[in-house]
Amino acid sequence: MSAPRDEMRRRLGAVLESADPEARGRRRFLELLGASLALAGLDGCSRMPPREILPYVDQPESTPGVPRYYATSMVLDGYATGLLVESHEGRPTKVEGNPDHPASLGAAGVLEQASVLQLYDPHRAWQVRRDGAAASWGELAAELSPAALRPRVGARGARLRVLLEATSSPLEAEQLERLAALYPEAGIHFYAPLATTAFAEAVATAKAVVPQYDLREADVILAVDADFLASGPFHLRYAREFAQRRRPESAPGGMSRLYALEPCPTPTGTSADHRLAMPPSAVAPALERLLAAVGPGAAPPAGPDWLAALARDLRAHAGRSLVVAGPRLPAREQALVLSLNEALGNVGRTVWFTPSPLLGAGDGRGTLAALVAALRAGEVDTLVCLGGNPSYASAGALDLSALFRRVRLSVYVGLHENETARDCRWTGPAAHFLESWGDARALDGTLSVLQPLMEPLHGGRTRAEALSLLLGDPLARSYDLLRASWRRRGTVGAAGDFEDGWRAALGRGLVDGTAFARQAASLRRELRAPTGAPSASPIEIVFRPDARVHDGGFADNAWLQELPDPITTLTWDNAAHLSAATAGRLGLGEGDTLELRAGGRSARLPALVLAGHADDTVTVHFGYGREGAEAVARGVGVNVYPLWPGDAFAVTGTLARVPEVPRRRLALTQEHWGLESSAAARSLTLDEYRRAPETPPRRALSLYEPERRLPDGPSPHQWAMTIDLGACIGCAACVVACQAENNVPVVGREEVLRGREMHWLRVDRYAVGPPERLEVVRQPMLCQHCERAPCEYVCPVEATVHSNDGLNEMVYNRCVGTRFCSNNCPYKVRRFNWYDYNARRPPTEQLGKNPDVTVRERGVMEKCTFCVQRIREAEIAAALEGRTLRTGEVRTACQQACPTEAIVFGSLTEPEAEVVRRRRTSRAYAALEHFGTEPRVRYLARVRNPNPELAERT
Amino acid sequence: MSAAASSAGPPPGAAGRDEDVLETILAPLRQTASWWWILLVACGAGLVLMAVASAETVGVGIGTWGNNIPVAWAFGIVNFVWWIGIGHAGTFISAFLLLLNQPWRSAIARMAEAMTLIALVNAAAFPVLHMGRPWFLYWLLPYPATMGVWPNFKSALTWDIAAIATYFVVSAIFFFLGLVPDLATARDALRGRGRRRAYGVLALGWIGSGRQWRRRRAALGLLAALAAALVVSVHSIVSLDFSTAQLSGWHSTMFPPYFVLGALYSGLAMVLALAIPVRAAYGLEQVITPHHLDRLAKLLLSLGLVLAYCYVVELFTAWYGGGANDRATHLVHWPRGPYARLYWTMLALNLATPQLLWSARARRDPRVLLPAAVSVLVGMWLERFVIVVASLSRGALPSSWRDYAPTWVDLSLLAGSFGVFGLLFLLFLRFVPMAALSELRRQRFEAEAST
Repeated sequence: MSAPRDEMRRRLGAVLESADPEARGRRRFLELLGASLALAGLDGCSRMPPREILPYVDQPESTPGVPRYYATSMVLDGYATGLLVESHEGRPTKVEGNPDHPASLGAAGVLEQASVLQLYDPHRAWQVRRDGAAASWGELAAELSPAALRPRVGARGARLRVLLEATSSPLEAEQLERLAALYPEAGIHFYAPLATTAFAEAVATAKAVVPQYDLREADVILAVDADFLASGPFHLRYAREFAQRRRPESAPGGMSRLYALEPCPTPTGTSADHRLAMPPSAVAPALERLLAAVGPGAAPPAGPDWLAALARDLRAHAGRSLVVAGPRLPAREQALVLSLNEALGNVGRTVWFTPSPLLGAGDGRGTLAALVAALRAGEVDTLVCLGGNPSYASAGALDLSALFRRVRLSVYVGLHENETARDCRWTGPAAHFLESWGDARALDGTLSVLQPLMEPLHGGRTRAEALSLLLGDPLARSYDLLRASWRRRGTVGAAGDFEDGWRAALGRGLVDGTAFARQAASLRRELRAPTGAPSASPIEIVFRPDARVHDGGFADNAWLQELPDPITTLTWDNAAHLSAATAGRLGLGEGDTLELRAGGRSARLPALVLAGHADDTVTVHFGYGREGAEAVARGVGVNVYPLWPGDAFAVTGTLARVPEVPRRRLALTQEHWGLESSAAARSLTLDEYRRAPETPPRRALSLYEPERRLPDGPSPHQWAMTIDLGACIGCAACVVACQAENNVPVVGREEVLRGREMHWLRVDRYAVGPPERLEVVRQPMLCQHCERAPCEYVCPVEATVHSNDGLNEMVYNRCVGTRFCSNNCPYKVRRFNWYDYNARRPPTEQLGKNPDVTVRERGVMEKCTFCVQRIREAEIAAALEGRTLRTGEVRTACQQACPTEAIVFGSLTEPEAEVVRRRRTSRAYAALEHFGTEPRVRYLARVRNPNPELAERT
Repeated sequence: MSAAASSAGPPPGAAGRDEDVLETILAPLRQTASWWWILLVACGAGLVLMAVASAETVGVGIGTWGNNIPVAWAFGIVNFVWWIGIGHAGTFISAFLLLLNQPWRSAIARMAEAMTLIALVNAAAFPVLHMGRPWFLYWLLPYPATMGVWPNFKSALTWDIAAIATYFVVSAIFFFLGLVPDLATARDALRGRGRRRAYGVLALGWIGSGRQWRRRRAALGLLAALAAALVVSVHSIVSLDFSTAQLSGWHSTMFPPYFVLGALYSGLAMVLALAIPVRAAYGLEQVITPHHLDRLAKLLLSLGLVLAYCYVVELFTAWYGGGANDRATHLVHWPRGPYARLYWTMLALNLATPQLLWSARARRDPRVLLPAAVSVLVGMWLERFVIVVASLSRGALPSSWRDYAPTWVDLSLLAGSFGVFGLLFLLFLRFVPMAALSELRRQRFEAEAST
């Protein structure tokens, strides 16, 4: 493919070079004009990577205008999640999950969805710099070559340190082995700011292991400060498995029951049937009580309280229960949870252990602490830091920033010119994963492929290529390294079958049968002993990664900054979360500034009062207060890393109101939590559901003739959607998926404060029940595509009309912007372009727009289209093949992203379609039914499965 | 003249000698007072403010206003409805009272008609500025477009355009037809070639022949019948912008009469608020007598009482109807929501103030009437604000409840519209006979002849 292009380029170049600047004939001018246009055209349209990449499964030959899908993987905290990426003529525009990949099962989370915008981030590092001045990879390679480095770091490399962001890549492992061979004494360190060694301390195995769960087999689940549904390397898989046991119509073995103990509400905790808010110090005593009650030979638990009821429920389901510990719990709590699972006989059934796929896991020499010790001792001459942002995302006490600055030769290769780049002498741009060849492992060890969707936009290099600089092989390319490595290790079979195996792996995005075998893990018994009573400190401070910007590495992503927090709906900010009782005791209101103090350090944050939060506890999130060169991230929120001790995610401290700082308005997208009536979001218990009649309740009597439900137009399809509120965990993957698919603009904090966020799909949250036992009903809200749409008859110019196949269509170029449609929409799902939000977007960002969707101009209304571009694309494809659409062939972006399969889309004309089946269940209802809008979106009421012992008292 | 009308008080028409009346009305056309210049500059500043805020709105975007989702309509629509309401009193006084044979209307009819036209110009500016893409305003008109797309005739906004345009045209013709004999008087009485020529052209060759008087009277009668219907229809249709929607607070079958009454109420208040200062400034005590003020005040009081009835009915219907959304809007969000203060202020200004006018002394005292009229004007603006903003900000889904705050552009447009109104009204005072001279004189001669 590239050979003829190179030939063409050579010939055109020859024409241009032969140009005589004095010759000005018309003929000559036209010749030059043509040649330069053709030359520009060769590169102008496409940034396809130069090596052959292979589309997912097998697709027809590439047609201009028809997107193709390629399998690749995104690595977060070292773990791979398999993805399919939509590419339009060499421009990746949309990320979907890879159905074959164990960490995805076809879904893609918030960060995966937003990674496209990260690729096109105009503030990415784009140049090699030395002390801030422009330099080249060649100069850096010369600096790092063994010849130049050996005299400095010693022949055995004792004064060389390499710090890598956590990785599971076998290719990188091989590179590091070669590095260790070249410099046997060089230190290689791995770093993930949010990882802990607590679990490793709790288990007694020679090699580090990670727990895995099977939520399909668990009847009773206890989440101990664990947000397993919305965070962690396998959260998409767990969410899918959990949801399969939460549908009362079809759950195999009946509905499971989820209990949660946590300080701050999470998607998992608010999805639970019973949730107990609890400060971190109270978790260990509670677990001990549980263990005493369920342990071998224990007396049956007595008493009416929550924990006793939970213990009875767990005992009753021994072997079919599961206790999940949050990854940030301390070692003692981890050990208690492991003991509980052992005592209940769950190990090997609902929970088991596999070796950790992370490089350097369980090796005390490869930690950040070891590097810090070496830096403090002045033992480091050359430090090469690949990825991550340790200067920012590390405990304040370490003061890595100052340590980095003391190193003679410090090199940082990363996506952004962030805080770490600022502290290093040399910086180079890293290749984004969508620009990279590579490999990585999923949590269960499955070897996953990274194949690039485009050439690096800014000449970035992968980590394997950066390591090659140290190995004296500066021209090595990841593609060749990866193939050589796989060939050598026989990753995809014997040498003779390599090409076939290679093509198969690229096509599917993973290598089959590479998951690790289960491994036994037992407890380190000494940890069971109590470590003394918790100190009686006024306030416990809990540190958590942010649901949107994670550890801060995604902070320059405007989609994520504007994504409402799954619990609080906060955008463009972080805050100190605390309960109403604690806020009341301290005289705090929303937006008042707090000063948190712990271990001699302090941070000031605005307060956010949150129902369901544990008393005398404050939760803060990492990832804000960035100070690097990323313009979007800079100045958003407050950095809490300086307050963090680094070895624990919950500390004791004090907190005080700072009265002199004026109240900060927090940009929340939903200010009211109360549900005034059940007309919008419905929830019922399993008992109530069972007592309910099989068929949906009859409609209220009316004097009017019943409306015909389906227009008798010529369309063979009538599109409709159902959303299962019981399955929705509020992770917001659908919101970002919609934003990416439909070119939904970002408006910024000021506009969100004015109430002008543009999301076509939002997740509404309603609190039911008393605040101390926060119970949330979530409702993804989007255009309901009403059959009798109130927006349509009020538009004076017929800019919003109904299609034959049941879509409520918005004709952007007919809209004059009276906004009457929005006033008349009971669901308030219409969004207005108050300004020209799409004007003057950076050119790289424009590359990421979906070419199938119009970018809207100032002054027009917009809203959910049911992804009409996908419907029409599928219809055209079907028409070309001379067939009708297959059931389930059209999937909306939100449906495709949803890890719990809460959203189902399809045609009402197909009796076997899932959407029809779900609409017929007794849980199905129309939101705000009394308006008579006959929406095409139907919700399935949330069904809870409360413990009867506890439910009686609610 | 019917005996009933003339027996209700002192004789209609102006008091004093005919020459004095003539001179009083024509004097402003001859020379300019210094206060006029000062006010003109002040109102000109308002015009500039309006121009700047409009340029910001059209140039940068409607985002410079405070509107949001769910409050997609706010100041722009409130101002529009308020100014349209002001524009009702003029035609009501001219047309309705002409048909009802109320001769006292002559003293204030001209001023009220001018006020109507100017208010309509102001009102029309707001919905245009309010659009997201005002340059496509013509898409709302039913013209034979090449793409074969008509406006949506089901939309109340399409009816609005037709109703307001019709009302403006009829009101303008009505105003001009009444003006013709007075323009002829000005042509004959004023000196200077330019003035005589200008008024001469506008007088359309009026010579005061019997035939001309007869035809004019017939035309006025016909137009009055038409305009009287329009007074009712225009604000009814404006009210349909709200009542055809399903939003609680808007969705009410009572809206058409309720809006018409409210419009007349605010319009009459504006007539009083204008007539009282003009009367003092130009020494029109002989033309606009306490008797006229008394009549206007009685009308204001009675309309205030009817409006109070409307408020009660609206509340009762919301409660009695039992709809959860309607009850919440009227019984929770309006009286106790984020705009509760404005709601209660509105009730106080609209309902309590007119009760002063039960006293005959107060009805004839400009020092009572002027503040009362201004309070009704403010109250009626707040009423529209409560209807538009307080309803939108608390819709059916609590997840989408949002408050609204105006920006400097919103406030500038409101302030600027007063400047524009004042400017045009000052020009009217300066160049147009401000009272129906011919009517006043005719009534006076008829009265003298009958005694």
